[in-house]
Amino acid sequence: MCGIAGFFELPQHPGEHSATVRRMLSAIAHRGPDSTGYYVDDRCAFGTTRLSIIDINSGAQPLSDETGRYWICYNGEVYNYLELRVELEAKGRVFQTRSDTEVVLQAWIHWGEACLRKFNGGYAFAIYDRAAAELILVRDRFGKRPLFYTTGGPGFAFASEMKAFFALPDFHFEQDVDQVQSILAQWTPLPHQSGFRHIRNLPMGCWMRVTVGRVEERPYEALTLEPSFEVASEAGALDLIRERLAASVALRLRSDVEVGVYLSGGVDSAIVALLTCDRAQGRVRTFSVEFDDAKLDESEEQRLMAEYLGTQHLGVRVGHGDIATHFPAAIFHAEIPAFRSAFVPMYLLAESTRQAGIKVVLSGEGADEAFLGYDLYKETILRAEWNTSSEHVRRSRLAQLYPHLDHYQPQDIAAITGLYHQFAEEKIPGLFSHELRLQNGRFSARLVRSQDGPFRALQEMVRATDGYAGLTAVRKAQWLEYKTLLAGYLLSTQGERMTMAHGVENRCPFLDPAVVDAACAVNLRFDDGFTEKRLLRQAFRERLPGAIVNKRKFPYRAPDGAAFAAAPPDYLELLLSEAELSQIPYLDSRFARSLTKKVLANGASGTSTKENQTFIFLLSLALLHRMFVKREGMLRRRVHSPVERVIDLRGGALYGSQGNFASVT
Amino acid sequence: MCHPIRTFIEEQFLIEFGDDFPEDTDLFRSGVMDSFGYVRLCRFLEQTYQFKFTEEEMTSNILVSLTRMEQFVAKKVSRGVAASG
Repeated sequence: MCGIAGFFELPQHPGEHSATVRRMLSAIAHRGPDSTGYYVDDRCAFGTTRLSIIDINSGAQPLSDETGRYWICYNGEVYNYLELRVELEAKGRVFQTRSDTEVVLQAWIHWGEACLRKFNGGYAFAIYDRAAAELILVRDRFGKRPLFYTTGGPGFAFASEMKAFFALPDFHFEQDVDQVQSILAQWTPLPHQSGFRHIRNLPMGCWMRVTVGRVEERPYEALTLEPSFEVASEAGALDLIRERLAASVALRLRSDVEVGVYLSGGVDSAIVALLTCDRAQGRVRTFSVEFDDAKLDESEEQRLMAEYLGTQHLGVRVGHGDIATHFPAAIFHAEIPAFRSAFVPMYLLAESTRQAGIKVVLSGEGADEAFLGYDLYKETILRAEWNTSSEHVRRSRLAQLYPHLDHYQPQDIAAITGLYHQFAEEKIPGLFSHELRLQNGRFSARLVRSQDGPFRALQEMVRATDGYAGLTAVRKAQWLEYKTLLAGYLLSTQGERMTMAHGVENRCPFLDPAVVDAACAVNLRFDDGFTEKRLLRQAFRERLPGAIVNKRKFPYRAPDGAAFAAAPPDYLELLLSEAELSQIPYLDSRFARSLTKKVLANGASGTSTKENQTFIFLLSLALLHRMFVKREGMLRRRVHSPVERVIDLRGGALYGSQGNFASVT
Repeated sequence: MCHPIRTFIEEQFLIEFGDDFPEDTDLFRSGVMDSFGYVRLCRFLEQTYQFKFTEEEMTSNILVSLTRMEQFVAKKVSRGVAASG
């Protein structure tokens, strides 16, 4: 796992290319502290900061084919690289290293675009074809690894993290009001959104070709949620789940360094830990976030699971003060406005994980999307059937929703029933499943002074998606979760960006295409969906403690506004001062200040979910504005990643030549 | 003049009724009220005006604007006074 960055046809003298690409890579050196390497010629420069995990000794980047025509910079892992290598060798391809990087390059050379559907992993990479003078960029199908690129300016630049663009001459960050409004309303960015003008996120499952004067973006794999095969019986479904998950974990344990596991206290990560222990040679190490606040803490279940498996466990305890102290550094790494503070504990967890000597962890992300673990899916089923259900069915099903929310408790069930009456029919075309959630979003969107259709971009996205309109209400909900909350927050802000801030790679067995495929085949086939993830639990019931396998979904949360109300940090001045707020031109400063005062005065008990999330959004927008737009107070961790390889082909060296190859150690 | 419902909504949802935000604005559609806010509002109305929503009122006559709430409460309270008088 690594960070990549580079540019093509940048309007500067080639003599400056080397310094520019080095500065870009230096800005994301936290992603790859082990070594740095880059390629540069008169037209293109790109490189990698490497976190060495597979083929530590000979996997240095950039790496080329034997002719020197193709060069690759690569971030992430294609877990099935050994199988692909065998396939390629059978077709006559010759390999110089043991690395998956070389398999990806050879696969592209041999199969072209068709290779992308063969890859099983989390990756983003760039391949430069010197003969064709074209740059290829690719991102994995679920959006595990990031890849941003600049638009609209002279020249083209790309990077794993946007902070690399600080190094570009004459580049200025500017928050994009339309995107900000959209992010506030739907909680997370859409796949292409970055929150900034002139920066686009390459959507998951897409690749692009950049040539002189032309940039093309194309999908290579659509998200398919329809069952692709029949499962005859529940027993068959349970076997299928067990087999595919075990195979997925086995693939993700391919590593030349030790692999740990994040234990959340829930059933998903428990299954991952169990299957890891099945295959591990030695004692597995597990890591968890613990909270001082008992309402949020799951340490009892985490420790139970660690003891049950006999893992070497580390719990990282997080209090209100930790959230407030580390929020600015964590949001600098996240780069995208966030609606919860729960990513900050993950930043601290990654730090401790790395300090413990672990570079790779497995986690349970993706299980709730694949196996219908969220209450959102039950809510969608209930609302879709509302008008044809009896009062008894409505009430009994409502009583099973959102047990962690106070206003879903029995004393208020009549009011909630009335509310659901209003949400039993689709009001926003295509977005039925998320309409109640989007109601919170409308509140957050009020941070932007002049609102102009906060759901327009989301509606356009679903309208433009082939097959979306024909999906069932639940599959639409799933599709939206994969494209928004999962990729736009859980895998990125709360996931990859936090682990990579400390040079830790996170792998997700539930995001294996074969696992998702199995889930699609069994979901709602043998039950009504009102016991979340019933089949998944059933598949591992005999191998897990009852307290884990029977535990209801407990959303991972952290103290939001309350963390800042308890001991307001100095930087809250950004939200309390009219002078500070007025520097963010699109903000409704009056609303922003009223909200801040209310959240700080009321603490946890008097602050609603939507107020909390709007406050966290506001705080992250203000900090991102200060750090990215004004370039002040950047909390960059200075990481030195030694330059190990420089390929300098400036001056017109032919691709058959290695040019001024320099190997620097 | 005291307008408890108006004051409650303005304080709870950080808005100000006026020309830009009329009292008949649909509070759901305008992004002001969510499920948590709606439940709190129902509790507030019951406690302040000493009545109980019937099941039917709760489920079929959702109060989406200040105008509708004030009309509903006025009717409810006057019925209560008439019944007790």
